[in-house]
Amino acid sequence: MNSPLMIGFLALTMLTCGSAFFMLWTKNVLHAALAMFMTMLGLAGFYVLAFADVMAVSHLMIYVGGVLILILFGIMMTGQRTSKTGEMNELFTEQKGRFWSFTIGITVFLGLSWLLEQQHFYTFADIDQHSKLGQVGLSFMLEYSFPFELTGIFLLIALVGATYIAKNHE
Amino acid sequence: MNEIPLIFFLWVGAFLFATGLSIILIKRNVIFVLMGVELMLNAANLNLIAFSRGDEQNQGLMMGLFVLVIGVCEMSIALAIILQVYRRFKKIDIDQFQSRN
Repeated sequence: MNSPLMIGFLALTMLTCGSAFFMLWTKNVLHAALAMFMTMLGLAGFYVLAFADVMAVSHLMIYVGGVLILILFGIMMTGQRTSKTGEMNELFTEQKGRFWSFTIGITVFLGLSWLLEQQHFYTFADIDQHSKLGQVGLSFMLEYSFPFELTGIFLLIALVGATYIAKNHE
Repeated sequence: MNEIPLIFFLWVGAFLFATGLSIILIKRNVIFVLMGVELMLNAANLNLIAFSRGDEQNQGLMMGLFVLVIGVCEMSIALAIILQVYRRFKKIDIDQFQSRN
């Protein structure tokens, strides 16, 4: 139980769950975006601990480098109102129905944990702790080549469509 | 063996999923709701990765990579639509849209 892997896992759990909860708690959109950055860092750490290094690196690149920048631009371009206290840079979000949302969230968490504890999952006997980069690359070129190409086309269409939608049409 | 039990990953995934759901229900800002959706997506992805540890064919890992790309597509298009909504209504609260019944 006291292995360094486990200590790292606990630290990552504190980082990820703490910043996710801060996202729920705060009313400032910008603070929530920064907390999301911390959550994504923690998730990349989890992928490393699950011996999926390819996933960790691509997750870091895509989420921290791409999606978070997109969200920051979205926050910047949709500034709505100044805050109630009159300070310039406070982005205030309204909240509604706090009680029911917390209740539903806690219920879902407890229900899922209970459900997952009931199951007896089949786990693989020996876990390969080496890098999976080569295997993943081969799989992309061999048995997953059609979904790979399809995802590429899909991404292209989605990005072109997004730029077209976001353009000023007047 | 000094490996982390599977159930720990599932617990973290469940927590992230519940937090994302609460964020979607609580917040009135559309960008905030989108962040909650991303959190739920990543919680599901963590489960895929955790289950595919030790799988020699890496099926969960490949599925997770595809999910990542689809999530990015969803995010970019959603932000473009939010931008357009803001241009038209000058507001991106969820409560502003009401149907005439």
